[in-house]
Formats: sequence, structure tokens, C-alpha cells
Amino acid sequence: MPEIAQRTLRPVPPPVVRGFEQIQRFWEPDTQRWTVKILPGEYYVTRSDEAITTVLGSCISACIRDPVAKVGGMNHFMLPEDTTPRDGSARGAPVVLSTRYGSHAMESLINDLLKLGAVRERLEIKVFGGGRVLAAMTDIGKRNIDFVKSYLNLERLPITAQDVGGDQPRKVIYFPTEGRVRVRKLRPIEIRGISDREKLYMESLRAKDEGGDIELFT
Amino acid sequence: MPRILTVDDSAAMRQMVRVTLTSAGYDVEQAKDGREALDIANASTFDLVITDVNMPEMDGLTLVRHLRGMPSYRHTPLLVLTTEGSAERKMQGREAGATGWLVKPFNPDRLLATVAKVLK
Repeated sequence: MPEIAQRTLRPVPPPVVRGFEQIQRFWEPDTQRWTVKILPGEYYVTRSDEAITTVLGSCISACIRDPVAKVGGMNHFMLPEDTTPRDGSARGAPVVLSTRYGSHAMESLINDLLKLGAVRERLEIKVFGGGRVLAAMTDIGKRNIDFVKSYLNLERLPITAQDVGGDQPRKVIYFPTEGRVRVRKLRPIEIRGISDREKLYMESLRAKDEGGDIELFT
Repeated sequence: MPRILTVDDSAAMRQMVRVTLTSAGYDVEQAKDGREALDIANASTFDLVITDVNMPEMDGLTLVRHLRGMPSYRHTPLLVLTTEGSAERKMQGREAGATGWLVKPFNPDRLLATVAKVLK
């Protein structure tokens, strides 16, 4: 009964970083790791020997760790469609409107790692995704790749490894304590579910267009 | 035009805030952490300071406390712009002397509306 054997071998899940208690983890017998699966718009950071996995179509995941502080994490995001009015009525510049969710996703992950003791200069950054999998006039995957590269360039954070573009979705498994990433290209038949989920995510970004909470104390 | 000092350790975030504010005609200076912001604020005067919280050298709440202790910034609006949105952190901001708390990602028009409001 291999299933029972595996169950008895399953170790106690490692501690969770404060703020990520709600995230579901499962024991993955293949990798022998407790694993977190993140969805579009989510991110996860850990101090433990866990795996973080996600499936990417045109979205991007940055896998970032500090090998010395032994903390690492992964995000999963895309830029919303550029819906800036062409008549120039929007006062905030278009670049701000279209990239702020990407910047937010990158900053949230990096900030949490720094709070766990990571040092900016030591960050090892790997970037994945940005495939051309959504049937759209514009190459959304390429926009996402261009964004993450220019963001990291602006922040002076070098990319250590990448696997981006192409027309296949990817399943990514990240092992932050080792820095190892396993990427599997998925077959075109698996695209539909992924692109449906990404479309829903994109719609939710549009709905959230008003940005975060604002509170005046006086 | 009012002068605004924006403080953030992220160059991408500084750029987004600067582009948004300058598009509305404000005069914008930038600092990459609380320590640098304090030096710039000491050497010059500003009508508003917008600061991130988590930064190296000096965090945003410490910066707010320092500015509130300076006669020239006692009544200056000081806004916090951060990824953090917990009630606990907002309370710390309020106690430090912040005028308001904005959670990222920011909507450019709403940021400008808030800036106009606190500058009145």
C-alpha cells in the first residue's frame, strides 16, 4: 500500500510566515516537499524548505530569494489591459495606470523578503512566463515580460535566470532554499483552462482600478 | 505650485509617484529613504511629504516622527503611501503624526484628489 506508506512518511508542515497562515499547503510526494500553489494576483514567502508552484500562461512569476538569509518567495501577476483614454482625459500618466499592479506585485514580494532579513544586494531573481497564450490582438505576454525587465532594470536588480515568452504555458515549481526551479511546458490542450483563469484575473484588475484604501486621520 | 517631497526605496515607485504629481503641475523632489528625506527636508521646505513605510536606513514612520518634531514641519501634511494596510500599522502611522494613509497600488486620480485635499 504505497499510499499509506507515503502518508506515514509525510512530515509535519514547516512553520508559516506571519500573514500567510490562510494559504493552503499540501504534501507533494514527487518532490517530497510541502507545497504552496499560488494563483494569479497572489504571492508567498517562506523561511522553510518548501516548494512554491504555479501555472503561467501570459502571466509572470518572479522567484526571488536571499541564499544567505535563507528566505525566498514567488509572485504571480500580469498587467491589466491598457484602457487609458486616447483623448488625454486621464490626468495620471498612462504608464502609471498600466504598470502599477505589476510594480505592486514585485514590491510586495521584495518588501516581505526584506522584512524577513533578506538583503537587497543579495537577491537572486529568476523570471518565468509571459507566453503568448491569450487570443488577443496585442501580445499580452510580451507586455508582461517587457514590464518585469524594465522594472528590475530600474531597481538595479539583476535577473539570474529566466524562461519567458514562447507560445506554451508553463508549470513552475520553485524550491527557495536551493534556488532551484523546475519548469515544465504544458501542451496546447491545457491552455484553455489557464487562459480562462487569466481572463478572470484581468477582469478583476479592471474592477480594482480605484486602487487601495485611502484614510485621512484629520 | 506646491512643492512635494516623495520618499520611497523603490525607484519604480518613485517614478510612478513623480510622474503622477508632475502631470498635475506639482514641483516634486525625491528621496530614497527616510534618512535622505530628512536631509532634503532640512535643507529646503516642502508643502507636503509622501512617504513609504518599509525602507532601509530610516523607515517612513520614524521619518514622520522626526518631521513632526521640526518646527517647519509641525503643520505640514505628511501622507503615508505603503503596501501595508493593517489597522495596527495605520494606528502607528496616526500616532507618529501622519495626516493620512494610502494603500498601494494607488489610483493616480485618487492620489491627486487626496493631495489637493490635504494641501488646502
